[in-house]
Amino acid sequence: MKLDPRTKLLLTLVANGMIFTAPLAYSILMVLATSILLIFEGKWRFVCAFFFVYLGAGVFFDAVKSLDIGTSGTIIVASLFLIYRIMPGCVVLYYVMTTTKVNEFMAGMSRMHVPNKVTIPLIVMIRFFPTLFDEARDIGHAMQMRGIRLFSLRTLTNPFSILEYRLVPLLVSLTKIADELSIAVVTRGLSPETRRTCIATIGFRVQDVIVFVYCLAVVALLCGITPFSVILEDGP
Amino acid sequence: MPKGRPIESIIMTITLKNVSFSYTDSLYDAVIKDLNLEIRSGECVILAGESGCGKTTISKLINGLIPLYQSGTMSGDVLLGDKNTADMTLAEISRYVGSVFQNPRSQFFNIDTDSEIAFGCENLGMDPEEIRERVNRVVKEFHIEHLAGRNIFHLSGGEKQKIACASVSATDPEIFVLDEPSANLDLKSVADLAEIVARWKKAGKTVVVVEHRIHYLRDIADRICYVKEGRIAYEWTPAELEAKGAEYAASLGLRCVNLKQLNEMGDARLRGHDKKGVIAGEAKQSLNEILVFYDLHFAYNRKFPILDIPTLTLPWGQITALIGHNGAGKSTLAQVLCGLCGAWRQKRKVRKYGAYLIMQDVNHQLFTESVLEEVLLGMDPPNEKAALEILVGLNLEQYAYEHPMALSGGQKQRVAIGSGVSSGRDIVVFDEPTSGLDYRQMLAVSATLQKLAASGKTLLVITHDPEFILNCCSNIIRMEHGKIAEQYPLQGNQEKLVQEMTTFSFDCLG
Amino acid sequence: MSNIRTTGKKSSNTLVRDLVNVGIFAALYVVLAGIAASVGFIPAFIIVSTFMVSLVTSVPLFLFFSKVERPLLCCTLLCGFFGVLMVFTGHGISISAIGIVLGIVSGLCLKVFHKSFMGCFLANVTISFLPSSMMIPLWSSTEEYLAYCSSVCDAAYIAHLNELSSSYWPLIGLFVFGALGAVIGGFIARRMMKKHFERIGLVR
Repeated sequence: MKLDPRTKLLLTLVANGMIFTAPLAYSILMVLATSILLIFEGKWRFVCAFFFVYLGAGVFFDAVKSLDIGTSGTIIVASLFLIYRIMPGCVVLYYVMTTTKVNEFMAGMSRMHVPNKVTIPLIVMIRFFPTLFDEARDIGHAMQMRGIRLFSLRTLTNPFSILEYRLVPLLVSLTKIADELSIAVVTRGLSPETRRTCIATIGFRVQDVIVFVYCLAVVALLCGITPFSVILEDGP
Repeated sequence: MPKGRPIESIIMTITLKNVSFSYTDSLYDAVIKDLNLEIRSGECVILAGESGCGKTTISKLINGLIPLYQSGTMSGDVLLGDKNTADMTLAEISRYVGSVFQNPRSQFFNIDTDSEIAFGCENLGMDPEEIRERVNRVVKEFHIEHLAGRNIFHLSGGEKQKIACASVSATDPEIFVLDEPSANLDLKSVADLAEIVARWKKAGKTVVVVEHRIHYLRDIADRICYVKEGRIAYEWTPAELEAKGAEYAASLGLRCVNLKQLNEMGDARLRGHDKKGVIAGEAKQSLNEILVFYDLHFAYNRKFPILDIPTLTLPWGQITALIGHNGAGKSTLAQVLCGLCGAWRQKRKVRKYGAYLIMQDVNHQLFTESVLEEVLLGMDPPNEKAALEILVGLNLEQYAYEHPMALSGGQKQRVAIGSGVSSGRDIVVFDEPTSGLDYRQMLAVSATLQKLAASGKTLLVITHDPEFILNCCSNIIRMEHGKIAEQYPLQGNQEKLVQEMTTFSFDCLG
Repeated sequence: MSNIRTTGKKSSNTLVRDLVNVGIFAALYVVLAGIAASVGFIPAFIIVSTFMVSLVTSVPLFLFFSKVERPLLCCTLLCGFFGVLMVFTGHGISISAIGIVLGIVSGLCLKVFHKSFMGCFLANVTISFLPSSMMIPLWSSTEEYLAYCSSVCDAAYIAHLNELSSSYWPLIGLFVFGALGAVIGGFIARRMMKKHFERIGLVR
């Protein structure tokens, strides 16, 4: 089942916008919808794993609530809870990131009349995360062989040196990649002024409408338009 | 013009007229000096020459990066057909000229292969239906059905380069410009690349290849232009160059034209040493002195181990070449030996007497602001005198206070070697030290390695370069599917080695 | 020679280079900021986290400033992306607006001072307010935040948080610490530029 990139955008926006501003029940509503979408994509294993961890954590927090664990314990629990709150958002992000192709995204953006000047760097950014981690890992390996560690006499006497060792090689190779990438891209005719087409067919279909309506309904619920909101607020 | 091509397709002659170019503000230190070159439609031309001779600059002139993108100073004109590149935009030029670059990692804009192949067409604003047709056609032509719809980050370098070629081919340009496309590839991928170039030529396209490794284009290229100091110094057909012999090519800094000629070369070298009685004698003697590693295992998944070597023996104080196809586990072996991956027990063992890895991209392992400090960094305790001695040994003493990243590629590599020596580890592992090097640089690297081995280090070199192996290695380990397939000394087995490394490439060409 | 001319000055082509640079440095900025800010997962260190973020990101930002040719556009895009990404990780819509405004201001700093140290320095300080303002929802929508905290944490901690959010001093502290990190980071970055990037030849 394919969704239009614009629908996915709305889905992420609603789900993630709710992480800190709405009660937990709303996030769970969004997660349920996303899980169904993920199952349609055949990623039921991920869904199962997520719910196992998530529900487990929920039980854990419930148990901890009644215990007296002191201030430091509370601080640790509170920070864990923060991660717990972000988890639903991560599921939605995972869904969007794994199912959207770069050119679909670009087509969706251009349909929304977002100029190429914004889309191009946005895509480079998304494309670049894996490269960034590869480079950082290689540099980490090199540091390891040299015996440069986070906690050692050398780095403790000069804490900025660790920043230097990490960043300088990374920045040098990133600027090199930036030059090569922009050369490759301009010779393939990418230019902010020309209009590009896209092989990905995007457009609103039935499933898009359903997801759209669902998202809007959840937002409406949150804003307290229906009487059910009272019940939901009691939920967690 | 070959038959069957559409009538509207244009005959595109590339003409460079009195072109000079400099990367700075004045033409005083020009890279290209008053160059005249004509490449006819349908020709396949190799631009060869030593590093820094300006051949990449010529390729940039043809694909329009100069004068449209690269800042610098230029005089003269470049004409594609009857159009001057200076009057076109890069998007327009991309209709006629397709470019493939050296580094497969950094020429992708998309994450999946399908969109990458369609990318050029999409930029030209073609009709989606037609683009889909073209993508399908190209995928079929290049036999890359197995790569369709994959994540590009999971492909090997050779596969990435194939996708890059396919992507360029989809826009159906008249001219292809390839800038050292084989530099990061193994011999099998190089053979595939040769097949692609042959297909383009057969379709009547003009192909310009900038390259040191000529052997794979021997049967395809129409002429080889030797570039020296920004001018075309010589022109040969591949047959003419081959007839002049391997020594002639080597004296100009070119890699061998025919891998089969390598046999003679390797023989000559070993015979030479026999006379001196240095290496051959040493090899026999030190066969008793070996380093043994036990239980080198690595697996992401228990059922499919990537590396599974019960014992690995390395002759002490010698250079051992590690060969094998992509994905045979060579890099993993190197990382395990260096303690960079694997179980923590392995890692701890290695920390005591492990190997030091010189990476393919040495930029990753240079940290400090001067060459001297770079060598001192790994030393425990730091000793400036010893560090300077190491630098003298690597011919780096005059650069001791320069910034390591500001040096040339070969010098950077030597700095990295210096840091490995100073760390006191006895085994040094090299990951493809000669990729993309011309003959002279390759000789320099092998000289450095031999010196290092003579000083008592044990060297393991991952390489796809038979010329390099014949030049300096004394033992060969071939890996297959994470296991050691065979291990033998080079002496007496040169033919076998060349045979093994090149059979597939000739199969594909034939 | 008759027609000597300088090349590579055509705007549309350098624009692509700038856009690619924005993408790459935005990715780096997001990752570095994320790593540095993870210190703030320990609530006691929330205030220090902004300091860490602006300290760590100063060097890449300085390099970024010196590489781009259209500071106004590039800074706006960089900050805008960060803002939008923060919206997607649940920090409220306001952050993206703040991001764009800060981006424009920092771009103007660079434009006015022509990429001199002063310009880069001010732009860096301006951008340092961006991670700090991520915490604004804690103050603007206190009740909701506390409501869900109270469902799990014990009363003493809630009281502590309540105390924290009822006064505006910690918020000011966040910004001051962030700016402080940017000031120190700026001086480090200048040293790094001189020590490394100028000698390598990446920056003129």
